[in-house]
Amino acid sequence: MPAQNGVLPAKCTRCAAELLSPVVCSGCQSIYPMPSGVDHFQLLGLERTFRLDEARVKASFRALARSVHPDHFTGASGEVAALATRLSAAVNEAVAVLSDPLRRADYLLTLAGGPSAVEVREVPGSLLTEVMILREQIEEARSAGRNDELERLRATLSASRGAALETVAARADSLPQASLEERREFRKLLNSIRYYDNLLSEVSVDPMHAAKTTHD
Amino acid sequence: MTDPRDIIVGIDLGTTNSLVAYADEAGPRLIFGSAGEDDVLLPSVVAFDAASGRVTAIGHEARAHAVEQPLTTVYSIKRLMGRGFTDLGDDRRRLPYAIERLAHSDGARDVAAVVIGERRFTPPEISAIILRELKQRAQRHLGPAVHRAVITVPAQFDDSQRQATRDAGQIAGWDVVRIINEPTAAALAYGLDRRERATIAVYDLGGGTFDISILQLEEGVFEVLATNGDTHLGGDDFDQQLIQLFTREIKEQFGLDIDSPAIKQQLRTLAENIKKRLSSEDLAEVEIGLGSGRTYRRRIERGEFERLIEPFVERTISACGRAMKTCSLTPGDINQVVMVGGSTRVPYVRQRVAEVFQCRPYTALDPEQVVALGAAVQGSVLMGVQRDVLLLDVTPLSLGIETLGGAMGKLIRANVRIPCQATETFTTFQDGQTKVKINVLQGERELARDCRSLGVFELTGVPPMPAGIPKIDVTFLIDQNGVLTVSAREQRSGQAAGVQIIPHHGLTREEVRRMHDESVAHAHEDMSAHHLIDVRTTLEFDLNKAEGMLRRFGHLLGQAERASLAEELRALRCYAAECTDAAALNARREAFNRSTIPLAERAMTAVLQTSGGVAGDEVDRPATASTTGGAPTEPAAQRR
Repeated sequence: MPAQNGVLPAKCTRCAAELLSPVVCSGCQSIYPMPSGVDHFQLLGLERTFRLDEARVKASFRALARSVHPDHFTGASGEVAALATRLSAAVNEAVAVLSDPLRRADYLLTLAGGPSAVEVREVPGSLLTEVMILREQIEEARSAGRNDELERLRATLSASRGAALETVAARADSLPQASLEERREFRKLLNSIRYYDNLLSEVSVDPMHAAKTTHD
Repeated sequence: MTDPRDIIVGIDLGTTNSLVAYADEAGPRLIFGSAGEDDVLLPSVVAFDAASGRVTAIGHEARAHAVEQPLTTVYSIKRLMGRGFTDLGDDRRRLPYAIERLAHSDGARDVAAVVIGERRFTPPEISAIILRELKQRAQRHLGPAVHRAVITVPAQFDDSQRQATRDAGQIAGWDVVRIINEPTAAALAYGLDRRERATIAVYDLGGGTFDISILQLEEGVFEVLATNGDTHLGGDDFDQQLIQLFTREIKEQFGLDIDSPAIKQQLRTLAENIKKRLSSEDLAEVEIGLGSGRTYRRRIERGEFERLIEPFVERTISACGRAMKTCSLTPGDINQVVMVGGSTRVPYVRQRVAEVFQCRPYTALDPEQVVALGAAVQGSVLMGVQRDVLLLDVTPLSLGIETLGGAMGKLIRANVRIPCQATETFTTFQDGQTKVKINVLQGERELARDCRSLGVFELTGVPPMPAGIPKIDVTFLIDQNGVLTVSAREQRSGQAAGVQIIPHHGLTREEVRRMHDESVAHAHEDMSAHHLIDVRTTLEFDLNKAEGMLRRFGHLLGQAERASLAEELRALRCYAAECTDAAALNARREAFNRSTIPLAERAMTAVLQTSGGVAGDEVDRPATASTTGGAPTEPAAQRR
């Protein structure tokens, strides 16, 4: 076993090359089971921060995905092939979380000790009124068939969501030092983004439908 | 050349046609059948003999039987793969052959089976007949040791349908190393040589299924961003519209109800032909003789046909919209739309796709061949021939469990990259409970009853404790094939709990094994029956020839020799009439031919002496008229 309890392994037990990822040897391409406690950032070899470079996340993911994908272990024993499948699942999960800003922030909060979305369900005080008004406006615009108004509401919502995400970005990296109260506020902020997302999915247009009308 | 044992071929097991292909360093190519290089499509049709349940024909020949023997000619079996009798709905009415619920000892299971006389065939068994035929093709070209294959399925196939496909492969004696999605395979065939980054849509409309997949291609990485579709939408539906039109009008005009399977089948063939004709012409005409001098005549313009199929084409367009929405793209982001599947030959389909994606559909590769070619490419990736290709696919359907109150609790969402896994903790609700049952579902609906149940997973060996105390972590893993495996572990003890799967619509491992063994036995039987006929035919020819020689040149032999040969000939005739062992009969035939050599040589000499060497022909020609089969080489003739 090359690693224990989240400590990155130093050397591959098969070829003694340095392990750049906790699960793959860069020298002989041997794969290792996930050491317990390895987080998504460590798995992908990325710094634990909210401000990740999308291109770097993608590049790390692809390099690792190539090394652990079960298609490259067809000739291997059943055990190794099964390990490759499990590792691929872990790598896929890691990249899915890290490449989505909302999920990434949520994950950073979890690493900092929570609270979870089940523990804190509230949103910032002003949001409920705002959402109620927006919902009414959406319904009115829809029943009146006013696409321009829907489009305007969509823009408003996107802007509000963007602003909330800005705040998230500003606070996410200081979560490890944050007090419980500050972390609760952070959770509420994340909850508010989910509210905006729900509303946004209500005003979204079917791309195919849009294409058809422009064509007619 | 690669060791045939290591070769991995690619198979497109289609609703209408099936193909097999192989790829090496030079790229993928299709493996053709016995009729020559153009014989690449094997119609997915199997004809049976009603009385014995034996297979009488596969492919083109079987399809030719469909009209005369609608009840014993099985086509579109892919529509039944991995499905229960109760959820067949429309298909049961549409397909002329009889389908029933397979009798099982356990009442929970519901597997559809095709009725052929006294026998029952599950859909994987029938698909296996097609797959075995493809295996013979592959073995003829690549050597008898070929046994590994990649088989494609519609991207929208659920777990049961994928399992059924894998079962079919195993029954046919294939080692199914991978199941891949058809649109993804098509992208592999298409994008192998592309290096620049591109976003493509694969629009795959086959005989019975529709898939739309959006992929990003970049330096050997084939990444599926989203997939959508319908496993019950295809060219068959187009045919069905025409059939319904004819049936209705025949009823109106002649008061005739069309219920005979033969006429239904005739209508189906007709509808298919009209659809094809209207792909290149603006007008098609139909004439159906209804007996007693009555004839139904109809002219169909392309526009009318297009109005008939429009609702189905629009359903494909809606699915395209859902796929784009999933990956937050608009038609303008798509660089190219690749057309796959025979039904994309319909001009209206191409026209609508061009309209909504605002670009000309890409049709450079034959839409009926591209999936098999891509599967072969994937085969070469798995063999290690192609090293830089990385296939990243997604699961088409959400996976979840039935929660209290009959809701669907989603654990893995649709369009998540595979392999993927989710772990959920379960507990007991009765003191001392040692088993927990989990109903595993696939689908997008909110209620469990509207989703598809993949089966009940029973956790066994839970330590007896007060209710709510045991904590069992159950891991649902969807592998690279889109196939689910479930494992369980009790938290406290760390012990693996047993997971027993009761598939709702599938076969058990034992059943698959038994079916494989049976199919091998049957194939052997069929083959030896075939072989026996061959040997008998050749023997008949040899015996007749010997008889003729004996009559004309017997006087050149001694009396004893002549009598012994005549006796041998008579005895072998009797033996041939009763013998059922092809190998034994052939051995006797060869021995007999050796004992006729002295006579043949003397006959030859006699002929040469009397006619100066021009009458060899006479020696060869048997005296009796009833010759069959080709002439085996004859020593006298060789010497000429």
